[in-house]
Amino acid sequence: MPDLYIFKAAIGMCDPIALQNHNVAIHYVQNTYWRRVDFLEAIPEFQCIDLGAVLANNQSGRVNVVNLEMADNEFGIFRWYPIEDVQILFNHPAGVSKYQLRNLQVPVDAAILFNDPNLVSTEIGVWEDNRPAMVAVNGHAFPMPASRVRALGYRFHTIDPLPISPEEKRAIAQVKAESPNNQRLKDDALMEIALQEGRLPVTHIWCSGRAMGD
Amino acid sequence: MLITTDKIGVRITGPVVNLALAGIANSAVVFSIPILVGVLIGTKSAVIKKVTLFNNGAGNTQVIIGTGLGAALFVPLLPALDSLNGLMDPYGPNTDLPEVEAYADITAYPVALLAGTSIDIVLEILIRG
Repeated sequence: MPDLYIFKAAIGMCDPIALQNHNVAIHYVQNTYWRRVDFLEAIPEFQCIDLGAVLANNQSGRVNVVNLEMADNEFGIFRWYPIEDVQILFNHPAGVSKYQLRNLQVPVDAAILFNDPNLVSTEIGVWEDNRPAMVAVNGHAFPMPASRVRALGYRFHTIDPLPISPEEKRAIAQVKAESPNNQRLKDDALMEIALQEGRLPVTHIWCSGRAMGD
Repeated sequence: MLITTDKIGVRITGPVVNLALAGIANSAVVFSIPILVGVLIGTKSAVIKKVTLFNNGAGNTQVIIGTGLGAALFVPLLPALDSLNGLMDPYGPNTDLPEVEAYADITAYPVALLAGTSIDIVLEILIRG
């Protein structure tokens, strides 16, 4: 059984965080979606956006990275880096800053390739079309002709987490037996309760940033 | 993904281009950035790793490398490179050639040529993006 969690730093790898038939809890701002993975595939490194030319000592507008958005019922895990000497401010969703400290939104620049060669600290999850966005900051005294970002990762298609294994069926039967008020709930709702209560293994994935104090 | 510092692009050699007309007005494309509209995302760029000039009896002169065609658009990427009469002039890491990056087709022109002569130019390029 592989270790299934986010931010893995095995040498040279961006690993999938869930495999076929594994349960996942997708956290998006204040929402949680309990799902089961029924398909996954690797996404090779590609250029996900060119934020365009940036004037000297200036920054671009905030641009939604639509090429990192996923289809309905899908989420993606990506690691990424810029290839120009610009600093990238990442927002996810577009109105919420990512990599946020109390007094600073930490930018990512091309030096990440030297200091964090696995890019583990850039790892993000994207749930459906929930608007990752970037801003490029050019600190040079000359214009930057382009601000390109490359990404790689995994794509996961998910379905409702209906019980399929004997372990899951037992867990649901136990939830039913312990709480008569749950008797009228359907299996998928009971499955959510079993996952929420930690009766079954599940991988948690954050697919957004979170506003300060939220 | 491990250590991409030496793996940031693909190296490719451009065609041999014969520069038979001197002056900025006769600047010619010596390396084209690959474009496949609708398939590639964003911009490819070209880093000059090596330049080889062969002087076909053109006299001692210089070649200017940049982007853009014609006096109004040409922007130099490098200072003038010497091209000596009848000789091959290689420029690269051993001559501390700066690895300038172009975001448009690379163009060049000889400053002067003896009548009926020319300079051949070849670039070795690192493609990024």
